[in-house]
Amino acid sequence: MRVVIAEDLFLLREGLARLLRAHDFEIAAAVDNPADLLRALLEQRPDIAIVDVRLPPTFTDEGLRAALEARRQAPGLPVLVLSQYVEQLYARELLADQSGAVGYLLKDRVFSDDQFIDALRTVAGGGTVLDPEVISKLLGRRSADEPMAQLSPREREVLALMAEGRSNSAIAQRLFVSEKAVSKHSTSIFIKLGLAPSDDDIRRVLAVLAYLSA
Amino acid sequence: MVESTVLLIAYIAGCLALAFRRQRAHGGTESTLAGQLRALGPGALLLPVALAGFGISVSVYWPAIAALIAAGIMVVFAPGLAARVLPAALIALGLYGFVLVRGFERGSQTPVLYGAVPAGPGGWATYLILPQAYAFLAVGLWLAWRTTGRSSRLASAVLWRAPEAAGGQRRPRWGLLLLPAVVVAMELLGFSWWFSGNGWAVRSTVVVVLATVLLVILAPALAADLAVVAVFALGIYGIALGALWPLHLPLPSAFTDQVRYGAIWVYDRPTALLAGLQGAGLLAFGLWLVPRALDARTRALFWPAPMPAAELAGRVRQLTQTRADAVDTAAAELRRVERDLHDGAQARLVALGMSLRAAERLIGSSPQAAAALVAEAIQTSSKALTELRDLVRGIHPPVLADRGLGDAVRALALDTPLHTVTDIDVPGRLDAPVESACYFAVAEALTNAVKHSGARHVQIRMQHAGGLLRIEVTDDGAGGADPLKGSGLRGLERRLGTFDGILAVSSPPGGPTMVVIEVPCALSSPKTSSC
Repeated sequence: MRVVIAEDLFLLREGLARLLRAHDFEIAAAVDNPADLLRALLEQRPDIAIVDVRLPPTFTDEGLRAALEARRQAPGLPVLVLSQYVEQLYARELLADQSGAVGYLLKDRVFSDDQFIDALRTVAGGGTVLDPEVISKLLGRRSADEPMAQLSPREREVLALMAEGRSNSAIAQRLFVSEKAVSKHSTSIFIKLGLAPSDDDIRRVLAVLAYLSA
Repeated sequence: MVESTVLLIAYIAGCLALAFRRQRAHGGTESTLAGQLRALGPGALLLPVALAGFGISVSVYWPAIAALIAAGIMVVFAPGLAARVLPAALIALGLYGFVLVRGFERGSQTPVLYGAVPAGPGGWATYLILPQAYAFLAVGLWLAWRTTGRSSRLASAVLWRAPEAAGGQRRPRWGLLLLPAVVVAMELLGFSWWFSGNGWAVRSTVVVVLATVLLVILAPALAADLAVVAVFALGIYGIALGALWPLHLPLPSAFTDQVRYGAIWVYDRPTALLAGLQGAGLLAFGLWLVPRALDARTRALFWPAPMPAAELAGRVRQLTQTRADAVDTAAAELRRVERDLHDGAQARLVALGMSLRAAERLIGSSPQAAAALVAEAIQTSSKALTELRDLVRGIHPPVLADRGLGDAVRALALDTPLHTVTDIDVPGRLDAPVESACYFAVAEALTNAVKHSGARHVQIRMQHAGGLLRIEVTDDGAGGADPLKGSGLRGLERRLGTFDGILAVSSPPGGPTMVVIEVPCALSSPKTSSC
């Protein structure tokens, strides 16, 4: 699997590259600024891009903007955004084009490399992965008069895990239920949120989007 | 007569006894009569006021009886409502005094008991009506003033409607003064003229009364200005009366040989001197009112050079204060950061180093124990990161740095557990310190809404126009928030004060609570990027 890395800190960039090589990823390019990132993404067309939110010159949200721009020019290009902090606002912007293949994680998640590599593969496969911190903020919210309120507590749990990018079997394991029960729950979620029958992956993305905007 | 007096006294005593019982059933603890009366509030006065209705009834008694029964029910079952009705009843009683005077003047009124005096045509029996009428009017207005903004939501909605009052606070309530001022002025021209019954007079009476009432309700600031001017004019007129009597003044009242001026009947030299005294009193009252009731712009009209030295001194005082506040705030903030770093990340790094050192020693002899220590070190480092992240958020939230105040407030709204609607129109960036102060003020307002108000919905409006940033945070909660309690908002008010910004809270009981922040500041060029 070919990867483009955009990270301005040399140590982290090299650390990421080493970690990925150890898991049989191929580093197509490792860059440290938004202009090079955009060029690399559009020329190399990697299987996935790992982008730090803060890049030069202003060290604010250049990485995020570059990732959004790249996805505008190449829709559906899988992007995993890493950051020292997570914001629901940015998660929404990343998910807004509804084409999936998006991840948004805290940088610390790199520490547990198994989960990180899982997340990479999910995003590369068109899935959506949100950091548990975004999810926990969402769970803290009271959505009184929205379709979200119709979901049962169990269905909310399933949806939260779905937003973290977990597959049905992973969700089943986590909640100690059968995979069939999980797929029943997810069908019920799709119906309650008014999502028309279509490709399951797309419906998962739409469900997570509805969750974010509740 | 005697039997009915006894009956009335018994009725009032019975009502009060019932009211006390009810109060005690609701947890009242007062034992003395005075204490119980105080706890019952001014509403209890509604009973004697209703009693006055018997005095002024001539032959038909049932309206007075109905009023007394209604008053009794209110005092017993709804003392709060009674307190709110009382000012209106007193004002009505006062106004009725003027009608009585007019009646006696035309000879069409039979003698009645008005308040504490038997009122009849001619002599002291008539003279004593006016002072009493003024006293009722004054007490009624004073009570109305007391209740505005506290229990009466209608009055507060009308009088406090303009949020501009945040700066000048209580000023618009002075508009109520226009009512008695107009009554005195009408009286000067002779009630016989206003109520003479011919079409022209009736029309002017209706126009004057309606215009006054509308002014007081719709333009309280203008009404306050006019009231001050009217008090001045009336005072000067009174002094002129005292000095020039029996010279007739060039006013319509000159065609009679007596004038009613305020509470005084002027018909000879001594009464004219009394009128002069009253005029001097009014003039003094007018002077006292100027700094309190007059709009700053109107004041500048009378005093073209508004005391520049004093104003500069005031400004210097304010700047000294806000600068000291700013320095204090910064120092306190640094101490907090130092403490957080010392107790948090720094301590965790020390623990991390110790775990790693121990693991290094154990790695040869007991690899398993070493692995456990390394796992612990990883956990510690992740906790240190979390703490650093929280600390950074508290100092300067990353979204604020990335995107500016608009998006930062949107992000805040997203993180708030209430249903929050934003309406933000700030096309550009503000100075970083202003952005930061406003951000934390909005955050505090939202936190208060979540913690204390019991609100379900919050609305945040933010716009920048004419060099002024205005932010409103409104919730639909229970209200009754006291901005003087809780140090959070006070601290933010001081912080905003450094930029000449203000923070005002309006939170009547029953809600809604509205926090308004206004900061004069410039907007830098709009951002050019697409997202």
